[in-house]
Amino acid sequence: MTAPARLLLVDDELAIQRALAPLLKSRGYDVDIASTGAEALGHFSVRPPDLVILDLGLPDLAGTDVCRRIRTVSEVPIIVLSARGGEADKVAALDLGADDYVTKPFGPEELVARIRVALRRVTTSATAESGQLQAGDLTIDYDRRRVRRGDAEIRLTPKEFELLSLLARHHDRVLTHRAILRSIWGPNAVEQPEHLWTLIAQLRKKIEVDPAAPRYLLSEPWVGYRFSTSAGEA
Amino acid sequence: MPRGQLHDGWALVRALGAVAVVTLAYTQWIPVSNAAVVSTTLLLVVVIVAATARFRVAAVTSVVAMLCFNYFFLPPVGTFTIVDPHNWVALFAFLAVSLVASNLSATARARTLEAVGRRDELARLFDLSRDVLVMTAGPDPLGTLCRAVVRRFDLEVVAIAVPRDGRWDIAQAGARTIQLPEGELDAALTAARATLEFDARARAYAGHRGVVTSDETLRLVPLRAGTAPIGLLAAGGRPVEAGTLDALAGIVAIAVERARFLEERKAAELTRQREELKTTLLASLGHDLRTPLTSIRIAAGNLASTWLSDAERTAQGELILAEVARLSRLFENVIEMARIDAGAVTAEIRRVHPSEIVAAARERIGTTLDRHAVAVHVDPDEPVPLDPRLTAAALAQVLENAAQYAPAGSTIDIRAQLVGEGLLLAVADRGPGIAASDLPHVFDRFYRGRSAESRAGTGMGLWIAKGLLAAEHGRIWVENRPDGGAEFSLLIPTTSSAALAPPA
Repeated sequence: MTAPARLLLVDDELAIQRALAPLLKSRGYDVDIASTGAEALGHFSVRPPDLVILDLGLPDLAGTDVCRRIRTVSEVPIIVLSARGGEADKVAALDLGADDYVTKPFGPEELVARIRVALRRVTTSATAESGQLQAGDLTIDYDRRRVRRGDAEIRLTPKEFELLSLLARHHDRVLTHRAILRSIWGPNAVEQPEHLWTLIAQLRKKIEVDPAAPRYLLSEPWVGYRFSTSAGEA
Repeated sequence: MPRGQLHDGWALVRALGAVAVVTLAYTQWIPVSNAAVVSTTLLLVVVIVAATARFRVAAVTSVVAMLCFNYFFLPPVGTFTIVDPHNWVALFAFLAVSLVASNLSATARARTLEAVGRRDELARLFDLSRDVLVMTAGPDPLGTLCRAVVRRFDLEVVAIAVPRDGRWDIAQAGARTIQLPEGELDAALTAARATLEFDARARAYAGHRGVVTSDETLRLVPLRAGTAPIGLLAAGGRPVEAGTLDALAGIVAIAVERARFLEERKAAELTRQREELKTTLLASLGHDLRTPLTSIRIAAGNLASTWLSDAERTAQGELILAEVARLSRLFENVIEMARIDAGAVTAEIRRVHPSEIVAAARERIGTTLDRHAVAVHVDPDEPVPLDPRLTAAALAQVLENAAQYAPAGSTIDIRAQLVGEGLLLAVADRGPGIAASDLPHVFDRFYRGRSAESRAGTGMGLWIAKGLLAAEHGRIWVENRPDGGAEFSLLIPTTSSAALAPPA
């Protein structure tokens, strides 16, 4: 077995630190703790973490700032802790490169599951870059622009394939509406989510077994969409 | 005898006297033989009379002057008979000229009087509009309006009736109190709604009517905003022209509408403030509830697991207790805030030692001050009459605030001393102090300083401290210490009169 993944918990709340640190250690992770944004950024030059858990309300820096600065030095997955009602901050953090978010108050399993998925994405992304992605019974062949469910070939329009491959290349990671709109329709379309809603609905009809209860293309309410590879396991 | 007739009587006496004097002068003192000179002089008298008195006085004067002219100056002198036909012509010419002159002058006079009256009423209307324009949102807008109309128009009584929710909202002012029969008001308003005619000559809309109260008839005018009647104006006393009354009603209607608008705006403003308060409360409560809830949820999960060591298990248990304590303090603050809002905080004065208050305050906030050094100076520790519960609760809020902003490990000074006015409690910290822009708002509800945005805290504490102290007539203020940090001062009056008076 390789060395345990090193997590960096960034939260100024002592109580959160004291509750989360033992939990994460018990799941086999190494845990470093930072109480301020500056402290967190300092860790990157000394002990670069494999994953960052970042509270958006820090005493010294705005959470979104921390996110942006981490992205300038590292591609490490970032999971944002946010309060409900802080939707704007959360979306801003995701747009600045955060991978996922958990809303307070959250339960232990919720956080641990997100950590597991984010870490797995890192280890599989290397293989996903080339050739194809296998998720459940769905196979996406990037080079030949083909999608199969089981043995049946699914015919997609170019836009549908573009959207599916965008989400699949960032599988298990939340992409915000704005980010998807910008990358598929261009910067002028970011205020027109209707395009996206329609295309997602079409895509779900083709690739989901039950489009009303999607397994692959999951909605993150108010925030964006996520392509889930853990559908088969759930 | 009416004043007008008496006035005319005197005018007549003076006029006839003048005619007599002219006659005497020309017959006795300076005999004149030329009748033209006499007639011109008498004509002058008649014109002067016509210019100063009413037409009927001038007419009587004309006739008398004509008779005198005939009797004393036209030959044969001493009789009313006239021989020379030339003199007939002169006599009738004199009468005709004097009557026409009287009439012209009387008409001019009447026009002048009317113009003066108009100007007077215009001035009154103008004054009233000015009153209406400067009228601010007061407790009784209709009453204020009635008083303004009474004052500006010298009326004996004025009432404004506005229908509201099926009832009549009536305000009145003046020397007497009147009872307006509601049936009449309903009928008048219905009639005003049904017809809209404009009487061009009287410059008034139809719909004016009399209403008989116990002892007199009042004039009832519909108040029209645009053309729609919104109420009625009843006026009693000095007669006011219909056109003026209508203009008056127009101004009153605008004022009533304006008062209603001001009232609505005030209500809307209150609603907005309440909504804003609610939103702020929910946002800050949401923020402050979530963190302890998350910690408790995770720690409780940890406790239920099997992998914890005993030491860690104890730590997780303590963590839960501390977070629960934090939640209860938050909860207590919300309750306290509601009690202050409802005015349900009353002082119960007892004699206590200042040191007890400090101890009680420190106990209230539990472990919050554990990360700071606390230095307490009490001088002298003699029993003082005050409400220990309110005082300690207020002090606790200030201490909690200091603990939040002063860096861990720094010293927080608590001083309690007796000054002339009462007990002075001072809390000095070595934190960053308070930014000048925040100083005026420190005690506002939900106000949080610029630097505090990312810190825990609801912005309730200092507002609660202020509210609690106000219930015992105390006050609280803050200043930055010259060597850094903030110093909060709480002054609770202990002189028996101030302390025992019921809270305002």
